[in-house]
Amino acid sequence: MRIPKLRRVTLYILLVFLAFLFLLPLWTNITTSFKTLKDVTYTTPIEPPLTPTTEPLITAFNIMQRPLLNSLTFTVASTILSCLLGSINGYILTKIRFKGSNIVFLFFTIGIFIPYQAILVPLVLTISKLGLYNHVGGLILTHTAYGIPITTLLFRNFYALIPDSVIMAAKTDGAGTWTIYRRIVLPLSLLPFVVAGVFQFTSIWNDFLFGVALARGPWSMPASVALANLKGTTTVMWNLLMAGTLWYALPVLVIYLVLAKYLMRGFMAGAVKG
Amino acid sequence: MVSVTIKNLTKTYGTTVAVKDLNLKIKDGEFFIFLGPSGCGKTTTLLCIAGLIKPDKGDLWLGNELVTSAERDIYVTPQKREVAMVFQDYAIYPHMTVFKNIAFPLEVRGEDKHEIVERVTTTAKLLGISQLLDRKPRQLSGGQRQRVALGRAIVRKPKVFLLDEPLANLDAKLRVKTRTELKKLQLELDVTTIYVTHDQVEAMTMADRIMVQKDGIAEQIGTPHELYNHPANLFVAGFIGSPEMNFTDCTLIKEGKRLWLDAKEFKILMPVEVVPKLKSYVGEDLIMGIRPEDLYERESIKEGTQKNAFRITVDVIEPVGPYLLLHLRKGCLSLVARVKHTRARIGQEVSIEMDRSKIHIFDKKTTKAIL
Repeated sequence: MRIPKLRRVTLYILLVFLAFLFLLPLWTNITTSFKTLKDVTYTTPIEPPLTPTTEPLITAFNIMQRPLLNSLTFTVASTILSCLLGSINGYILTKIRFKGSNIVFLFFTIGIFIPYQAILVPLVLTISKLGLYNHVGGLILTHTAYGIPITTLLFRNFYALIPDSVIMAAKTDGAGTWTIYRRIVLPLSLLPFVVAGVFQFTSIWNDFLFGVALARGPWSMPASVALANLKGTTTVMWNLLMAGTLWYALPVLVIYLVLAKYLMRGFMAGAVKG
Repeated sequence: MVSVTIKNLTKTYGTTVAVKDLNLKIKDGEFFIFLGPSGCGKTTTLLCIAGLIKPDKGDLWLGNELVTSAERDIYVTPQKREVAMVFQDYAIYPHMTVFKNIAFPLEVRGEDKHEIVERVTTTAKLLGISQLLDRKPRQLSGGQRQRVALGRAIVRKPKVFLLDEPLANLDAKLRVKTRTELKKLQLELDVTTIYVTHDQVEAMTMADRIMVQKDGIAEQIGTPHELYNHPANLFVAGFIGSPEMNFTDCTLIKEGKRLWLDAKEFKILMPVEVVPKLKSYVGEDLIMGIRPEDLYERESIKEGTQKNAFRITVDVIEPVGPYLLLHLRKGCLSLVARVKHTRARIGQEVSIEMDRSKIHIFDKKTTKAIL
């Protein structure tokens, strides 16, 4: 479709304006990160720093260093584990099918809708009984368990698109259940792994509630909790807080930029029957 | 190479009976075809033989080995049956190259690497796909994919070869070509082959023996010749042959020692030798059948003078190429005759004679063949 010149120019102006609007918070975030506390008071957030400094970034990094590492550890571990388990579940639920598999699947989907707050007390009790309170392991376990319903749903819907005849062919070719999973199903799962992986990574990384409930100690505290603590009790040091936010946002941003093209395809997959 | 024996096989899905009380023995090295309209239970039977579904009732032997027995709770998994299968959609592994696809059954069995390379290469050469070994399935045409699926099945030298409508997704020209090749390949490999199709031409041209199935029941088992010339019932008679056999309601009338076949619009004097077979059906509701090629156009005859001919109007003439199809109509009777040439024009009346030795007669109630 050809758009007349004038309308196109108007369209571009509108789009640039909107992009500017959307990027404004990020811009203030960056500018504030490079300001001294004095600059924060004397300039508007949109204005660039008068005397640029990297000090807030360095200080924030020193404080956030360990929590970031904690977050990275349990986020990566839980993402991989929940995706892998979701994938196995999806495979079993679509391709093996056993008596009552539909009911099992129903329970999985119910799991998606249980609010975190409802299970918080029993969760904390269970984790401390297991000796995993204030331990990264406790967060790995919790996030993995909480991720399984949604990953199962994602993988199940994707695997429903793999023709049953492919699985039957592999069976007659002599492959057992596990070999079929490893050699046929898993290599075909790049797309759902990317989609489920990004979804899990961001939601686990951004989680605050489980982190604050299960891990407050310095050796297990997640970055989300550490960031909240940066705020301080009496005065808010905006430059430090903004710098911390930048560090905190970095991993998710990288993941998105690297995997964006797979993600777009992933969201489209299954929309049209191939 | 083994025989396949099926005893009292029954499989139901909910209230639908897919296969009902099937008994069958397929011989060593035989090319056996399950033929029937879609939903007749032929694929279900095949999947039972492969072990991919468990029947509700019945036993199944591969050679002397009892591989499935619902009653005795015996079930050998498909992995352990020496059975290879080609699926209608080919079911090629999309992420593997052609080489990897064909090698898969050997790799899973832990065969030696050199042995695998050698056997895959030989198989590819046999099927003429050697130049495609490095390609991925999405770079292949339908016919090539079909060959890969065949290659994957034959590379492991199975005892039984199962094919589920392997030609259904090919275009008409390629289908005819592949049909011949497949038949040749089966003779070369000499493996017991069970082939499922709904295409009666495929079945007639390829099979040693055919089982015609309908609604889960075996209507008739026999050689293509038997099925064509001696159909056991109305369904088989109508299903096999193209254009299909002509049918019309009729009764038998006794006149002295002879029998007349009365089809309202025409009367035929039945040959003496079939009288004993038909005697007891005089006056009953019957259906007569005659194949289009057993009707001949004759020089003009006078009405009522001939004992095996009658006059009828030409409705449509279809030139097929090597022959013509005359669509004939008289009252509520309509017939198709296959003739070499005709002088008749549309709307004209012609004289039609039938080969009386080729008349089929069916009981209208049971649909079973009487003659």
